Amino acid sequence: MESICSSMEKLFPCREAAIGILGELIGDSKEAYPSAIYLFGHSGTGKTALTRAFLKECGRKQNVRTAHLNAIECYTTKIMLEILLDSLAPGQGDALKADNMLDFVEQLHQWHGAPGAESQGFLIAVDNAERLRDMDANVLPVLLRLQQLTSLNLCVILLSQLPFEKFYNKTGLSEVISLHLAQYNKAETQRILGSDFAQVRSQLLEQFAQDTKRLEICQEAVTEEFYNNYLNLFLSVFYKACRDVPELQLTARKCLSIYLEPVLDGTVEATDISRLWRHIAGPLRSALTQIYMRIEKPPEETEDFAAIEDQSVRKLAQSLELPYYAKFLLIAAFLASHNAANQDKRLFVKHHGKQRKRMQMVNARAKTTEKMSTTLGPKSFSIDRLLAIFYAILEEKVGLTCNLLSQISTLVHLKLLSFVSGEQNIMDGSARLQCTIGLEFVMQIGKVVGFNVRQYLCDFM
Amino acid sequence: MDPTISVSKGCFVYKNGATRAGKKAAGKRKRPAAGSSSLLGQEVVEQPFYAEYRRAWSQLNQHIADLQQRSYARTLEQLVDFVVRQGQREARDEVLPTAALLTGINQPDHLSQFTALTQRLHSQRSARVCVLQSRDCATLKAAVESLVFGLIENEDADEEDADDDDGEEDVADRDRKAAASLTRTQLVVILPDFECFAASVLQDLILILSAHCVALPFVLVLGVATAMTAVHGTLPYHVSSKIRLRVFQTQAAPTGLNEVLDKVLLSPKYAFHLSGKTFKFLTHIFLYYDFSIHGFIQGFKYCLMEHFFAGNAFALCTDYSKALARIKQLTHEDMETIRRLPSFRPYVEQINDCKRIIAVLTDDDYLKKKLPQLLRDCLLHFLLFRSSLEFLTELVGDLPRCPLGKLRRELYVNCLNKAVVTTPEYKECVQMLSFLSKDEFVAKVSRCLDRTEQFLADEIASLELGEACTAVLQPQLETIRKSVDDVVNASMATVKSPNQERAPTADHLTAVASRQELKEQLLQRSKEDKSRHQQNTPTTQFARALQKTLQLIESLLVQDHLRPLHDAPPIHELFVFSDIATVRRNIIGAPRAALHTALNNPHFYMQCKCCELQDQAQLVGSLPDLSVVYKLHLECGRMINLFDWLQAFRSVVSGGDNEDGNQEQIDPQIQARFTRAVAELQFLGYIKMSKRKTDHATRLTW
Repeated sequence: MESICSSMEKLFPCREAAIGILGELIGDSKEAYPSAIYLFGHSGTGKTALTRAFLKECGRKQNVRTAHLNAIECYTTKIMLEILLDSLAPGQGDALKADNMLDFVEQLHQWHGAPGAESQGFLIAVDNAERLRDMDANVLPVLLRLQQLTSLNLCVILLSQLPFEKFYNKTGLSEVISLHLAQYNKAETQRILGSDFAQVRSQLLEQFAQDTKRLEICQEAVTEEFYNNYLNLFLSVFYKACRDVPELQLTARKCLSIYLEPVLDGTVEATDISRLWRHIAGPLRSALTQIYMRIEKPPEETEDFAAIEDQSVRKLAQSLELPYYAKFLLIAAFLASHNAANQDKRLFVKHHGKQRKRMQMVNARAKTTEKMSTTLGPKSFSIDRLLAIFYAILEEKVGLTCNLLSQISTLVHLKLLSFVSGEQNIMDGSARLQCTIGLEFVMQIGKVVGFNVRQYLCDFM
Repeated sequence: MDPTISVSKGCFVYKNGATRAGKKAAGKRKRPAAGSSSLLGQEVVEQPFYAEYRRAWSQLNQHIADLQQRSYARTLEQLVDFVVRQGQREARDEVLPTAALLTGINQPDHLSQFTALTQRLHSQRSARVCVLQSRDCATLKAAVESLVFGLIENEDADEEDADDDDGEEDVADRDRKAAASLTRTQLVVILPDFECFAASVLQDLILILSAHCVALPFVLVLGVATAMTAVHGTLPYHVSSKIRLRVFQTQAAPTGLNEVLDKVLLSPKYAFHLSGKTFKFLTHIFLYYDFSIHGFIQGFKYCLMEHFFAGNAFALCTDYSKALARIKQLTHEDMETIRRLPSFRPYVEQINDCKRIIAVLTDDDYLKKKLPQLLRDCLLHFLLFRSSLEFLTELVGDLPRCPLGKLRRELYVNCLNKAVVTTPEYKECVQMLSFLSKDEFVAKVSRCLDRTEQFLADEIASLELGEACTAVLQPQLETIRKSVDDVVNASMATVKSPNQERAPTADHLTAVASRQELKEQLLQRSKEDKSRHQQNTPTTQFARALQKTLQLIESLLVQDHLRPLHDAPPIHELFVFSDIATVRRNIIGAPRAALHTALNNPHFYMQCKCCELQDQAQLVGSLPDLSVVYKLHLECGRMINLFDWLQAFRSVVSGGDNEDGNQEQIDPQIQARFTRAVAELQFLGYIKMSKRKTDHATRLTW
């Protein structure tokens, strides 16, 4: 048990406590395992990696049979059971079949009687355990009591991001041992990020292997201290926004080359941190907006990339190529979504008659921003109304053809419109749609086709 | 009809010889006997016009396919490169390499692109490819099954090993099998329509794929129709942090269309042309409705078919030498077809010899002798037109606000539709050109000349009539070039024109006595300036030379060669397709209008004697019940009272002969007919029974 823990501690810095507890609970296969352990914590805190490594060590050193599966894959119970059987009893081929929980438990129970199984330990780890709640009702309770049901020395480790309270249901669950992996604090994060210094350095050296001048500078400048300074600066920007260690690691490596650039050029000393900071602050901040997006830079054509990176609404609306009438349909849909139907006549008919002003109306009209329909979100509208507004805002006359009607479904496919209800009965006119785009976006589209959208919105009248 | 032995009520299918399936089978049996791959009969396939159509279409189609292949090639190359490179790097962590291909909104069009990718990867034997359509992936189970089936099926096809997979593999099985059978071949999963996938399925799928990334080399390819924000909008952080995205941009659809138009449809190689209106119509569908290049090409193909199907005379629409050979085969009817062409009449009228006119109109052999010259004139006209178009495009394409249009296709339409010289847009262009500075103007015109010459050398010279075309055009270009040289040499000095003699006030401005006088003088001068402009007599030598050049261009190229269609040489109809009404009727579906016609005037489709109507709104008892009910419902408001409707129906159907009869008692037969017709109307979606007022129906259309 000690050997397992000590070898693990090297791999997972800052997780000594958790490893210790795990070791005490299931470190020794001679002792009775607890029936279930619940391991939870945010993403990027090392749940899966830790468990995987632990299971591997246990399997190697104590000949414990282990199984690790991801609950997302198991869209039926049968798949889960067969994966479990496969990995718990390797080398048996396809002979093992389990159609339901009963078969599975039966199968495991038989192993209990088998010779040599007395001291054998079994460990099962289930990733994304929150998905178990959506599976058959018996899955979760059985997994928690599997030890009792099979009389094997067996432990189920459930991994999830949620606390265990979220698992309770009406019938109740047996108690489990919960183990929380807390998020790393800033110092710990820095320690973890700094632990791969040797690898980063060797990678850098390899990268500049051809360029002797840079190689020299690199060899000299990139020291442990330099790297730690960099991580310090890096975390001062990023730690507030993101605590996911793998994500931070990835971004840190991306930005390191920018940080290193002035040093390699010889313009800034490697020890002059404040000047380096001034140099890196901008790029770091722009990298902050790109975090989690994982867009990879192609080696060439950086200009193209800049265009993709610029995700402002204006650019987006202009880059979205839509046929001319589709643009008008989209505008009409937006107007239908954000105007009340009883205002249509006033907005779109030329001679709509005089409107009497009453004090009541004036008061009602004096809207505050909370009441503005553009901020309240889209209302639904019928296809008839959409087409009526479309014909009202389009200057030229077009026929109601198949091509035009198919544009509506194209827009739905592109997720610019969405069905609210009645998707099945479009024929009888009760289907209702909704426009999903925002005001700014539609104004840009209006600008492209030369149509002033604001003019037709009740909110701005 | 045979009675059934069944006691239950229902609808029974009787299999007799007239079913569709039977016909199909019969057709299948027949076809091999006929020995042709076409649906059409032997007698059609052997006609010269059909042969010509086949030749023209295959040529065009090949050209278009080549062009598209080339335009896809760059992106495709990058994508294949990306996939192959993923195989070389070792997977360290659970990150799924992903390529996002921004395709543009018409996704059916881009499926061909993905097919090309699949073929390329297969041919390199570097990857297994599975194309996952969103319609196959309603649930995660279906998605994983079709994914595994796609990959395993591929394997079978490749390695011919007889696995008895029934497509019911689960994930674990897939892992074992696939991991055992392949080491470093990539497993490429293509999702051609990213937007149509349900978000939850997609997220789970990506999570699963990324979880297996360490063991199995998966690469994901997404076809994204809108923009990258769609990807980031669909995938939450915990999913998007599991993929590594690389974005690939494809050519935008309008650019692709312009390429096809410029290189293929406007190519001088082909004898077939579209008239300005048809051309505009097809591009209009593309730009205004669907952005589908495939749809455009099919529309064009339809025009081609329609054109050639008009008769054997249209087989002459081909290269000059081939057409000459075809002339001999023409029958008397074909010659009559030619004589009936609208442009043939002016040709006859301009002959001033009575005998020759009679010969042309009656003697087939005489006309056959004349035809080669006519054909040659026609073909030459189109070549000259095309070359001059090149000149004009360069000349006016980059003027501010592009009054005539920027692209070649717009200019083509404008020039074909009406005499471009007379249009105000053209005058605006000329005016703008005359405002250019000397350097700009000279550079522009010489650019035009160079480009036209280049075009003559590249595209025209290799054609049959190329030399003739060059012979006509080259001297004209030389004339223009000389004129441009004049412009270069011209000085800015003012040339005194005779009517400027009495404009001596210029120096006298200082000698005014009062403010009033000054004002008057200034007014007078400005008037003079205006009148000078109106007379359009340029003052400087440069301006004169410039005007002269512009006039030369106008008279030599624009007026002579860029003639509108109605002014084109005789029998140009053989080469130009202009029957826009037919095309419109056939390629644009208008279901609402068709339904209305069918219900309002059944005679239009049924061609029966009984339903002939003098007036559209007329109501006759002999009309089909559905039609009567429809017409009556048009007269109602939003809610229709069923009883009133029934009364009206009865009075129409029974023709008002039993007016005095029992008003209350309605013949059950009529009631049944009415009920059935109303049900049919409801089925067609015109009305809906309302729940709130049970004796009323709601109208749904207006």
